[in-house]
Amino acid sequence: MPKKEEKLINKDGIRSDGRKSNELRPTKIIVGNLPNADGSAYIEQGKNKILAGVYGPHEVHPKHLALPDRSLLRCRYHMAPFSVDERKSPAPSRREHELSKIIRQALEPAIFLKYYPRTSIDLFIEVLQAHGGTRCAGITVASLALADAGIPMRDLTVACAAGKIDGQLVLDLNDIEDKKGEADVPLAYMPNLNAVTLLQMDGQLTLGEFEDAVRLSLEGCKKLYNIQKEALRAKYVSKMEDEE
Amino acid sequence: MEEYQALWLSAAIRSPIASRDMGSKQSLVKLLTKRQSGQFVTPGNLLGVIEEFTPGQGTYIENGRIYAKVSGRTLLDMQNKTVSVYPLARLVRIPKIGSIITGQVSSIQNKTAHVRIFKIGKDLISGVFSGLLYISDVSRSYVDSLHDTFKPGDIIRAKVISEKNRTFHLSTVDKNLGVLYAYCSQCGEFLQQKRYKLHCSACGRIEKRRFAGDYGEAAF
Repeated sequence: MPKKEEKLINKDGIRSDGRKSNELRPTKIIVGNLPNADGSAYIEQGKNKILAGVYGPHEVHPKHLALPDRSLLRCRYHMAPFSVDERKSPAPSRREHELSKIIRQALEPAIFLKYYPRTSIDLFIEVLQAHGGTRCAGITVASLALADAGIPMRDLTVACAAGKIDGQLVLDLNDIEDKKGEADVPLAYMPNLNAVTLLQMDGQLTLGEFEDAVRLSLEGCKKLYNIQKEALRAKYVSKMEDEE
Repeated sequence: MEEYQALWLSAAIRSPIASRDMGSKQSLVKLLTKRQSGQFVTPGNLLGVIEEFTPGQGTYIENGRIYAKVSGRTLLDMQNKTVSVYPLARLVRIPKIGSIITGQVSSIQNKTAHVRIFKIGKDLISGVFSGLLYISDVSRSYVDSLHDTFKPGDIIRAKVISEKNRTFHLSTVDKNLGVLYAYCSQCGEFLQQKRYKLHCSACGRIEKRRFAGDYGEAAF
């Protein structure tokens, strides 16, 4: 007898992990958890656990990479060997190279790179535990690490994905939904400037569905943005009170 | 807001869906009436419009509006009509003209010394900046050869006198600038100051340096 596939979303609109279709995973963010980095942040979004650290701006090495008119943003997205079910080789894979690049491009517009010519800002995103949507969570946490490093920015960048599972649009896909679902639309967004800095799509959606998915992920971004702000406030406002 | 947004985003896609509910006049008025000094802001928070304030530290202007660019507390100066953000996050440390730096001499040629700057003011920095010290900026009096004033490995305190093209030119023309710690070039022992010379307690060697007034006492 063929095994019956388990549904990703039931009749009441409840997903496999108990969420509603427009609900984010429970998210916790800590800012400034690494004392040795210039700026750092840590996010737990569902089962995702991601650490971000920022160094700089400092002198570029090797020197020929330095840009005469602006700072060089270097980004490394890396998954720990133990972050997934089957051990991942610690060497950067094709996918990690690509994500490093798109995360860099999603964050670059937010930073005033022109202030620090011939320097580099080094950003490290380390995925300790992956459970779907790590690129989005990586952008969200990296933006906070940059803010923690005191690097002047136009806006915080926040990212969230929407997708389609069992013919229904849902927010913030997890690993199972990402793999078994029909489509996935990650989106990075600067809430105050109202500008999108990353928009990708994997899978198939009609034009209308795509628009709805973008609208849904924007909604998720705005919710996440409030968590981001609270995380920054939690660090600095309590710090102020300690000093008094 | 709609017409300028995302112009500078090479990779950005203009989002017509997003712009419908954001940036309306109503929400702007709501924001501006609630504001006061001492509020906590994060990068990108709206502080006001350029008609009412001069943008101060920690702010930037975009399309006639003033936003915060660092996280901190707002400072509304109603007398001078300026708005600024008092930063709570770490300050970005980069050598500037006039800043006092601490560094290690990495190499010496006849007329120039290379310095690895690891401390700006009182703050240690992650990584290093490289600085250049030219023989004419070492001392007020005539210096015949740089080898008489510095040795590779010395910890020195210097002032930044030029930052053109991000080449930090240094100077030690001041009483409290110069070598802070020096090691014997023969045996590696820490050198003690004896009048105008440095003395090695292990091998008895006497060396010359351009040392600072507080040689051997500075903490770093």
